[in-house]
Amino acid sequence: MINVQDIRDTARDLLAKGEVRAVIGWRAGSRGMAAEPCVITKPEEADSLVWDPTCYHNLALNLVNDRKELRHAKQSPGAPIGIVAKGCDARAIVVLLQENYFKREDVYIIGVSCENSGVLDEKKLATQLKGFAPTAAAFAGDDFSVTTAKGENKIAAREVMADRCLECRTPFPKENNTALGEDKTGRDIEPQFAALQRFEAQDEAARWDFWQRQFDRCIRCFACRSVCPMCFCDECVVDSIEMKIAPETTAEEKANRIRWVERSATRAENATYHMTRALHLAGRCVDCGECERVCPVNIPLRLLNNKMEREAREAFGFEPGASIGGPSLVASFRDDDPGEFIR
Amino acid sequence: MSEQQKYEPKIVAFLCKWCSSAGSDLAGVSRIQYPANATPITVPCSGSVSPMYILSALKKGADGVLVSGCHIGDCHYMEGNFLARRKLHLVKELLQFCGVEENRFRMSWVSAAEGAKFAEVVKEFVEDLRPLGPQEKLKAKRA
Ligand code: SF4
Ligand code: SF4
Ligand code: FES
Repeated sequence: MINVQDIRDTARDLLAKGEVRAVIGWRAGSRGMAAEPCVITKPEEADSLVWDPTCYHNLALNLVNDRKELRHAKQSPGAPIGIVAKGCDARAIVVLLQENYFKREDVYIIGVSCENSGVLDEKKLATQLKGFAPTAAAFAGDDFSVTTAKGENKIAAREVMADRCLECRTPFPKENNTALGEDKTGRDIEPQFAALQRFEAQDEAARWDFWQRQFDRCIRCFACRSVCPMCFCDECVVDSIEMKIAPETTAEEKANRIRWVERSATRAENATYHMTRALHLAGRCVDCGECERVCPVNIPLRLLNNKMEREAREAFGFEPGASIGGPSLVASFRDDDPGEFIR
Repeated sequence: MSEQQKYEPKIVAFLCKWCSSAGSDLAGVSRIQYPANATPITVPCSGSVSPMYILSALKKGADGVLVSGCHIGDCHYMEGNFLARRKLHLVKELLQFCGVEENRFRMSWVSAAEGAKFAEVVKEFVEDLRPLGPQEKLKAKRA
């Protein structure tokens, strides 16, 4: 099990020696028990770092944001930036490196292994606690130790872990500069893609009936896009507002600008948005599950992501976030890619 | 007038200009009879067909979408159709996953010399689309 002091010492050391200009990590949050992302720049801030089952956030997003800020300020990065990374955070960093979003030497990865555990699912936890509000959570081997007003509770991690963690095979950040915790790569807590398989066992009408209800509900807040480290484009294809308007742009040109997806949250527009999102993340989504966690109306986004992930694996032998070298899924092909569907 | 008799499926066909588009021309000049349900849109290469084209066509009310390019090995840009095959495999899978009928989307390889094959592809597509009726699932409800 990782001692949080080791994370703090590592961060303090790196900052004191000037090896990194900042460290991205988690600190105690302001909303109940949940940790929140933070960026520390001074050695003495290292003691504010935490490591517990509420470190949900994929910090690769903060790495992307750091890069954007530097670019907008027209600054060169100078020293690398440090980042505390779980298995999924590190896989996201690998995808970003694969896509040349930044260079390997620009980041210093302090890997933290989730070992046999993972992060909490707050909804599952609420059910277990029967209405008592949790105030703190900590790792305790294969259990979580959760504190409420009534005292401490030991709960088996697998009862309240996030689904994506139950299915995770790579809890250890393979790509790292230094790593803490045991390497449990290949662990098998729950079968992968089980929910996907159950869903696919339904017939076409039932599948559409399900998705139509999801697409009807989406409010297009774009939280799923904002939280995804892989959705880093400055201009997104689903934003029809991003047309450059010059003095000579005619009213007709403005009226006829290409709008692949309208902003209105109607079923058809939402369906197009979600299929576009899934396709643009195919071979890139590392199943960190953040999009599904942040959705205010509980759209099962992992189903769409996992469908693409499994298709990439089974049809094309492609694993997102597995290695930095090599081309991306849709920029490459093999001579024997499936083509029986083509007439 | 019953719906069934009146209904003619609308197909949007993205045709590579180096092959399938010329193939459709050949079908025309050879006076091969085939249904006039397909609206052709010439594209530089099947590899240039973005999934957005397909989703957009369905959103605008297409009953079926066809993408047709050069045979494997014959792409004018060497690898365009290999890339299309992979990318559009994902589109096909995703559409079916969401419950859109398998027969709403189709892909074919048709060379410039295959006028008869092009006519056959369109004919079959129309026949397969007819029993499905109008595509309402992804169509935007707009006046
Ligand atoms: S799926 Fe959820 S998070 Fe994404 S835009 Fe819709 S409502 Fe927002
Ligand atoms: S699509 Fe969702 S699960 Fe996949 S990387 Fe982005 S936020 Fe994570
Ligand atoms: S040029 Fe015809 S498919 Fe590429």
